[in-house]
Amino acid sequence: MRRGDVFIEMKGISKRFPGVRALDSVDLTLRTGEVHALTGENGSGKSTLARVLAGLTHSDGGQILLDGQPVQFQNPADAIARGIVMISQELTLAPTLTVAENIFLGRLPRNRLGLVDLPRLQREATAALERLNVHVPPQTRVSDLTVELRQEVEIARALSTGARLIILDEATSSLSEAATTRLLSLIAKERDKGTAVLMITHRMPEIYAVSSVATVLRDGLLVAEVPLPATGAGELVRLMVGREIGDFYGKRPIEPGATVLEVEGLSTPDGALQPASFSLRQGEILGVAGLVGSGKAELGQALGGAIPSHGKVRIKGKPVALGDPRRAIAAGIGFVPDDRKGAALMLVRSVRENFALGWLDRLSRYGLLNTRAEARDVGAAMKDYGVAASSPAVPISTLSGGNQQKVVLGRSFTRAPSVLVLSEPTRGIDVGAKAEIYRLLQDAAAAGAGVIMISSELPELLGVADRIAVFFQGELRGIFDAAASDEEMLAHVAVAGQLPDPPQPKDGGPA
Amino acid sequence: MSAEDAHNSRAADRFAHRQSALTRLTHAPWFGALLSILLVGLFLAFTQPVFATWANVMNIIKSNSVVFVLALGATYVIIAGAIDLSVASLAAACSMVYGLILVAGFSTVPAIVTILLLGAFLGAINGFLISYVRISFLVVTLGTLSIYQSFALILNSGTSISVYSNPAFKPLYAFVNGSLGPFPVILIFDLVLLLIMGGILRYSAFGRAVYAIGSNREAARLNGINVPLVVMAIFIIAGLTAGLGSLVQIGRLTSASADVDPTILMTVLAAVLIGGTAFTGGEGGVFGTMVGVLFLGVVQNGLTLSGVSSFWQGMVSGLILIAAVWIGGLRQLSRRRKQADRT
Repeated sequence: MRRGDVFIEMKGISKRFPGVRALDSVDLTLRTGEVHALTGENGSGKSTLARVLAGLTHSDGGQILLDGQPVQFQNPADAIARGIVMISQELTLAPTLTVAENIFLGRLPRNRLGLVDLPRLQREATAALERLNVHVPPQTRVSDLTVELRQEVEIARALSTGARLIILDEATSSLSEAATTRLLSLIAKERDKGTAVLMITHRMPEIYAVSSVATVLRDGLLVAEVPLPATGAGELVRLMVGREIGDFYGKRPIEPGATVLEVEGLSTPDGALQPASFSLRQGEILGVAGLVGSGKAELGQALGGAIPSHGKVRIKGKPVALGDPRRAIAAGIGFVPDDRKGAALMLVRSVRENFALGWLDRLSRYGLLNTRAEARDVGAAMKDYGVAASSPAVPISTLSGGNQQKVVLGRSFTRAPSVLVLSEPTRGIDVGAKAEIYRLLQDAAAAGAGVIMISSELPELLGVADRIAVFFQGELRGIFDAAASDEEMLAHVAVAGQLPDPPQPKDGGPA
Repeated sequence: MSAEDAHNSRAADRFAHRQSALTRLTHAPWFGALLSILLVGLFLAFTQPVFATWANVMNIIKSNSVVFVLALGATYVIIAGAIDLSVASLAAACSMVYGLILVAGFSTVPAIVTILLLGAFLGAINGFLISYVRISFLVVTLGTLSIYQSFALILNSGTSISVYSNPAFKPLYAFVNGSLGPFPVILIFDLVLLLIMGGILRYSAFGRAVYAIGSNREAARLNGINVPLVVMAIFIIAGLTAGLGSLVQIGRLTSASADVDPTILMTVLAAVLIGGTAFTGGEGGVFGTMVGVLFLGVVQNGLTLSGVSSFWQGMVSGLILIAAVWIGGLRQLSRRRKQADRT
């Protein structure tokens, strides 16, 4: 088969869920040796389309042609048998098994007695990992690996099955910048070998790095199929959101005030965060960059009192007791953790209760809750932070990721803390909601808060922050003026621990 | 927003509230159980004329009071995402101590206060080991299930203590078995307790903390809730209600016994779960628990009236538990799906 041959053709795919049309007669053509980006805001139907292709969901209408022959996938096994493998953001490895066992799960090599051929398993797993340049001993238990390595093991498994089409569903959302780069180069290599790739993402740099064509969905409809890189990022975003987003980050000048936060030698006992010192002024937004495991996440958790830590933290000159969220809150630190589902939301409770969780002390007297004040404050917060929900009584699990995050942020922002510590505040939410969140955190800064924004996405740090602190292997390696930095130089510090040699100051902000 | 828009949205709000009042009943997780009580009750009323008499209905309430009181405390524990296996043993221990201190000459009120404090103390031991020594609640309460039971047996070498003729017991007896007009005093007591326990859950910061810990412990901690303290308090409440339950038990049996009825723990947990409180935590309430207790009570009563051997009752309760939780899960799933579509 030659490169560029049509491998899969999806024609007029429709899918209804009760009360909503998730896909409305969508076409998609995938060619061998081509990376096809599938993009759109959350809820646009891109994941549903991918799930239909991977046999995880049945479509109501339309057909799928594979090498020109109509096919029907009853279940994922059908799709896998035809060489279609999906890698999703939720990892599907068995954590208690070894890397090798996971790669060959369901198709372990057998010897003549019908038992697992362990030497061969080891050999083939090693080969599969080496092909991808993943340096993990095959006998390691998956639970001992970092999220990034797990993702790479998952990809090794997909490739070792001889997949003809790899579907990546937001596969980079839990990866650091460096791991993403590695993944993208892997994808490019597979593409050049003739594999078709369908990449679902709304991260612009990834789309432009490897894709030659992009399909944009909006509200279940096919908006456009455009060639890349001929189509610019601005145009692509416009297609996704259906409107012009003038300045995405909406950076506005905020006059910094007095020093609000002083940190001296803050570290964690496990060494994940080495002693770090810095200070922050009112109205200032400090970006924090670094790879996964660089200590940037621990910095946020230590400031929020979520983990034990040593060092000195002072807010407006007053020392803060560390290692206790209650003390941190009382001292005026508002911490928003990166794990929205695991550490911030009560998924089974209502929007109202999720807001009020952070305000119980203010809403109650002698332990009794003032439900009238609660209703008033929640109503006001829903309006202030633009939470789209039909009523404060609906379960928060029914909201989109962006709206859930607005509740989490609004909960902290409403207390008007002196310092806001936000860990990955825009992870996993769509473009429109991101722009709103950038606006909200600048509002908080304008109102006098010092803001620390920890993020794995350099473009948003460059777009929103005044200064950017970069962590490397647990150490704070430098704080850079955002206006005088660019992505390349910050990434170099994050990956190598220092500025490129010789250090050449680059002028101008991000393009 | 224009004035007209504001007016419209207010009108929509009002409508939404009215609609939710209408649908809230049918959407409640205990609605299925309530409906089942009515259906089973209707069936029994026709097949067993005795069932629908006032005396029989009051008898159901009286004979399930012990389970009800224990289940109220268990509801708190389960909402918080834990489980207390020790309540029945704890109640037996309280019961034996009550018998002994009455024999030793305690008067009415000091004896009752002592038992409530003892219940709270035994609950606090559970809570302390779980919260501050950080041992799994299953391990701790499985251990104390055995320890408290053994303690109850050791106290009087396994022999029960009759308190019937003890003058200090008389007021308790009168309270548990008395009537106010047509209503048993214990019914009023149950309802007052329900209001207090429900009110705390719904209208106090502590109640919110119980739900918060059950639905996301880490989120609760990061938002300033003192999780270990609240968990300890929940187990103290469970111990307190077990102590209270033991007093109701003695009031009915007129003797303190170290024997733990093996079905009590199952019935208590089943009632809570049938009432819509989820094992996974964060959901449910005491009103549902009341419905659950009544449902099991009505079924048990119906079986007895129909002359079915008591050996069958466990099988029926077990089946009801599994079916109720299964159906509840299905209902919840379909409702969530519908809600997700709307937003």
